[in-house]
Amino acid sequence: MSSPAGKSNPLSQPQAESEVQLDTPWRVVVLNDPVNLMSYVVLVFMKVFGFAEAKARKHMLEVHEQGRSVLWSGTRETGEAYVFTLQQWHLTAILEPDEAH
Amino acid sequence: MKRIEVRLSLPVVAPLLDVIKGLVDDLKSAPAAPVSPPDADDDFSSEWTRDLVAAQSSDVQMLLSLFGTEFFTEGVVYFDQSNAEAIARSCSAVRLRVRERYLKGLSDESLEAGEVNLAALDEGVRKAFTCYLFLATIQELIVQHLEESIIGS
Repeated sequence: MSSPAGKSNPLSQPQAESEVQLDTPWRVVVLNDPVNLMSYVVLVFMKVFGFAEAKARKHMLEVHEQGRSVLWSGTRETGEAYVFTLQQWHLTAILEPDEAH
Repeated sequence: MKRIEVRLSLPVVAPLLDVIKGLVDDLKSAPAAPVSPPDADDDFSSEWTRDLVAAQSSDVQMLLSLFGTEFFTEGVVYFDQSNAEAIARSCSAVRLRVRERYLKGLSDESLEAGEVNLAALDEGVRKAFTCYLFLATIQELIVQHLEESIIGS
């Protein structure tokens, strides 16, 4: 849907796109590595995300068996903070756009 | 405050410290795990990596501080809420670097399963692999006994 004001003002459209990009949800993904212990990864998920042990273990197994697990989805700024913390714990973590939204 | 005391065999563990000390300079200059700053901006990426390396370096110093005079006289190290987090993290950092530096010839599968024929390894790799296992044991002890201290801190 477009508005008449958008058509008459060339600056409106980029601004709208920028807002959409900022509002797009992002997700924190942890990738598998052959070094970190399963028990350690569970502990890190419990510590960083406040997960109960069963949920942390489910995500750890997903990482181990499928190579990746989506741990969290939300704003980019918070996602960056989570990725930084996970990397401080030496897990391979990335931030990517949540394409489901 | 919960505290665990671990008695170690000096003749076994002391040589492993050489492996850790040999990696310290490297761990002070680059992250142990792959790092992907979520922003392509150079300044942002540099600051991101610098902060990670600073934290990693501080954790590794905490690990080394375990092996001071008391360890060399009594063979004992202690873990509690004040050092558990940093040491658990530093065990990962050193293990990742040991893997990259010395254990490239071993498959992921054999490392994950711990199924490695020690007798077939040359002395340097055997020592590095023993250090890799030793740090896993330390980390496992911390997770097992101090999990609540870490999560609650």
